[in-house]
Amino acid sequence: MACRTVCQLLQRRLASSAASVRLSPAEVRGQRSAVFSREQARQRALYPRTEKIEVTLQIPGLQGTLLVMNKGVSTPHSCARHLTEWYVTSSALALVDGNPWPLHQPLTQSCSLSLLTFKDTDPLLVNQAYWRSCAALLGQVLEDAFKEDFSVELIRVPEVLVTSGAFCCDVVLDPQLDAWNPSEESLRSLTRGAQQLIHRDLPWEPLEVVPPVALEVFSHSRCKQEEVEEKSAQSPKGTVMLYRCGDHVLLSGGPLVARTGLCSQYEVTAIHPLGEGEWGLHRRAQGLSLPFQLQAHHTVWRKLRSRAEKLVEVPTGSANEAVSDTLTPPSAPKQTPPHTAQQ
Amino acid sequence: MRLNIQMLISHGRVARKMGLGPESRINMLRNILTGLVRHERIETTRGRADEVRFYAEKLIDYAKKGDTDEKAMKMANFWLTEKDLIPKLFKVLAPRFETQPKAYTRMARIPNRENLDKAAMAVLEYKGNPFPPLQTAKRDNELTLINQLLKGYREERAQQAAAKRQDIL
Repeated sequence: MACRTVCQLLQRRLASSAASVRLSPAEVRGQRSAVFSREQARQRALYPRTEKIEVTLQIPGLQGTLLVMNKGVSTPHSCARHLTEWYVTSSALALVDGNPWPLHQPLTQSCSLSLLTFKDTDPLLVNQAYWRSCAALLGQVLEDAFKEDFSVELIRVPEVLVTSGAFCCDVVLDPQLDAWNPSEESLRSLTRGAQQLIHRDLPWEPLEVVPPVALEVFSHSRCKQEEVEEKSAQSPKGTVMLYRCGDHVLLSGGPLVARTGLCSQYEVTAIHPLGEGEWGLHRRAQGLSLPFQLQAHHTVWRKLRSRAEKLVEVPTGSANEAVSDTLTPPSAPKQTPPHTAQQ
Repeated sequence: MRLNIQMLISHGRVARKMGLGPESRINMLRNILTGLVRHERIETTRGRADEVRFYAEKLIDYAKKGDTDEKAMKMANFWLTEKDLIPKLFKVLAPRFETQPKAYTRMARIPNRENLDKAAMAVLEYKGNPFPPLQTAKRDNELTLINQLLKGYREERAQQAAAKRQDIL
């Protein structure tokens, strides 16, 4: 175990020396996407011969239907394509043997599959996945929005309950932008960027990777590497889930929905400054969104939106984290990473 | 009056003709209204249900005046052919609709009659009757995303209202 931490420290040192060569954001994204594609191709090459698996469907009306699919290649999305178009467009998440499973992740063994939509009797998992996906989309929009001279660091996506009214994404902007406060026009242009991504209907491609590969993907971002270490420590198998949307690679704590086209109403509502933290001035970007099957009337939407503009307090466990971040004075030496407090 | 073609064309005429003439029409409506007061939910043809609705609601308005009122008792006596329903009207139906100003009845259309005439049918009922509801409003599941957001919104509003009341006190 000591040897593992030494190896990680060495990797960190080597990674930080590479980061001293400032690449433009577009190049960083291209590099991340290339590493992702390479790992994806490598994982696909693990199944050179087509082996068959049996997938039993647990969908109301199609209980017990048996589908014969390919191992390591077929995804729940391809199972849905064998049914009807309605299943393809409306399913947001899949349940494989009772575990939430992203729709585009390949199936590796014979299992039971059920497709979850937004209008099920128990859509809690789907709601949380949707909230996480919208926050990931917000992070992507923020990364794209600013000019190349300004750096944008996504710190993390706090797990917020749906009843709190808005999804949030914690971000640190370039120090030159410390005095900048977003006007209504800038929020509207961020919303337009998000709507463009939604219109392109990009799928969120999942990939389960071991921590060294994830650290290589995020070799230019210190806080992302820390997040990778946190997540790998928390997960039972020690792996980390990466998602790619377009050419952005992101890290996520749980499954995301199938594609960006599932959102219909999407608005970026506010960006609140949280105070000085570990990486600079922390800001919380908030937004509100609804899927296309649950569209709101404009009167209802306006009320929900006015609520989403208020600052969302993140609940207790990570609130301690956030509080400790904000209370750290900037001149103090860098303290131990906050994930030890959770353990 | 002059007998002309316009007399045969009925454009814009709202008054319905039922039965053998105006007296027959009133008698038919009286019978249907008595059945409605006795059973509180009846099934008739669409035109008859629509006609009876007006008289059913007017009867309740008269019943609200109380059974000591001369005119109200005369009306109830005329319209209800079975005289054991007069106490039911004044003692059960009138108190039920005390708080409501207007709409006491509900009409729902049902598939056509199976007989040769294939008449368009309707169900007419007094609100607040003891039977199961005719049409349930289809509500989305409480746990869908939009309902959860609205629940959070309502709770926040309630909290703000409670906080305001605390401040005032």
